[in-house]
Amino acid sequence: MKGADVDEGILGLFREGEGFVSGEELSRHLGVSRTAVWKHMKGLRAQGYHIEAVPAKGYRLVAAPDRLTPRQIMAGLPARRIGGSVICLKETESTNAVAFKLAEEGGVEGTVVIADAQSAGKGRLGRVWLSPPGVNLYCSVILRPPISPVAACQLTFLSVVAVARAVEACTTVTPQIKWPNDILVSGKKVAGLLNEMNAETEKVNFVVLGIGVNLNMRADQFGTTLRHPATSLFEAGGVEVNRVQFARTLLAELDRLYEVFLKEGEAPIRSEWLERSRICGRGVKVSCGEREFSGVVEGLDAFGALLVRLSDGKLETVLSGDVSLIN
Amino acid sequence: MDIKDLKTLIKMVTETDITEFELENAEDKIVIKRGTTVAAPQFQVQQPVPFSYAPAAPVAPAAAAAPAAAAPAAAKEEGDVITSPIVGTFYRAPAPDAAPYVEIGKVVEKGEVLCIVEAMKLMNEIEAEFRCKIVKICKENAEPVEYGDALFVVEKLG
Repeated sequence: MKGADVDEGILGLFREGEGFVSGEELSRHLGVSRTAVWKHMKGLRAQGYHIEAVPAKGYRLVAAPDRLTPRQIMAGLPARRIGGSVICLKETESTNAVAFKLAEEGGVEGTVVIADAQSAGKGRLGRVWLSPPGVNLYCSVILRPPISPVAACQLTFLSVVAVARAVEACTTVTPQIKWPNDILVSGKKVAGLLNEMNAETEKVNFVVLGIGVNLNMRADQFGTTLRHPATSLFEAGGVEVNRVQFARTLLAELDRLYEVFLKEGEAPIRSEWLERSRICGRGVKVSCGEREFSGVVEGLDAFGALLVRLSDGKLETVLSGDVSLIN
Repeated sequence: MDIKDLKTLIKMVTETDITEFELENAEDKIVIKRGTTVAAPQFQVQQPVPFSYAPAAPVAPAAAAAPAAAAPAAAKEEGDVITSPIVGTFYRAPAPDAAPYVEIGKVVEKGEVLCIVEAMKLMNEIEAEFRCKIVKICKENAEPVEYGDALFVVEKLG
């Protein structure tokens, strides 16, 4: 058994049992000597695992380091389609750019690229997504849905619903969805999603779902150049979010929703989006390029575009631009 | 590890029979698994009927109506026409302050990006499917486009 496998075996046994695991038990389960177990405990501690050792009781995992590694993230993932292959990088320009290149080279559906930091995190239209190391989640997923390009923008709803579910599962804060796919907490942005597609006229080659979530970023890390007020789940909820747990929860939700999308189409996801966004009947201000207008939201059209009724009775269809609620 | 190295690595792994590969060093940890091709599921996403985003056509003045209506504008473009695969917003540049991807007269290689069409934060880079010269740019930056709308007229080059 390789060293890394013994480490993983030990961590697996810790995960199974709640309390202490004796050295003897570990040695028996893993088929290595107790001295070897002791050495591996030392090694795991050096990796940042907080392991308590009590004579006559054994070992207990108090806390795992919050480091994004494929092994940590993939442990216990359903991975029917998403997360079968996970790549974790220390720093890269943009996880979307890496995933896009991988997909062009034939990277399989469900491949996940995660970076601890991004030097040029991508926002919409050349904007930057702030991506300091050690605090947040920057993640891109390759999908190869057997759909036509016109239907692909529905995937926007899929990833934002997955993020909203993950925020609810991992924190006590209430996520709000802003059309089409920002996540706000108390009116401030905590997550940004940007999807990129490579398609032919009738066929999607692949889509990269880009997901950035501010987990534990501190207020002083945001700087003053942001277009919209931003915050992190830590700042909003007062509790540090475990990055590994968040990443795993998010990927599991994406996997679940993608399965629904493939089997039942986009309808169930759109209805969850509508329910969560609570945007129907609300007044909104829309700015799209140089145009600006206000109106009341009537719903979504077949593409997912926002239908906005203007005061003169005209119905506008919004497929891109910035939509903010007005009271 | 930068993208180039990663690409090389994946290529190398793909060219062998290896189904699982792990690499760990001080900086990165990479796991590549392959060979689990999922059969394409049998399903169909309801295809929305492409609909019009063009403002309602203004009522043509009666005098101009008869003879001028003869030639539909879009139908007679010279050369090859590159059309939009989705309904969305047309962007000529990657960012508002960046230079446009292409200008009239530019010769572009196969695979080169011509523009972006965005729909609901899904950015679709439209690439040249063959080597060509840009003859006409049919849409303004940030203009809405419909499915099948002409975006560029190009001259195919050998």
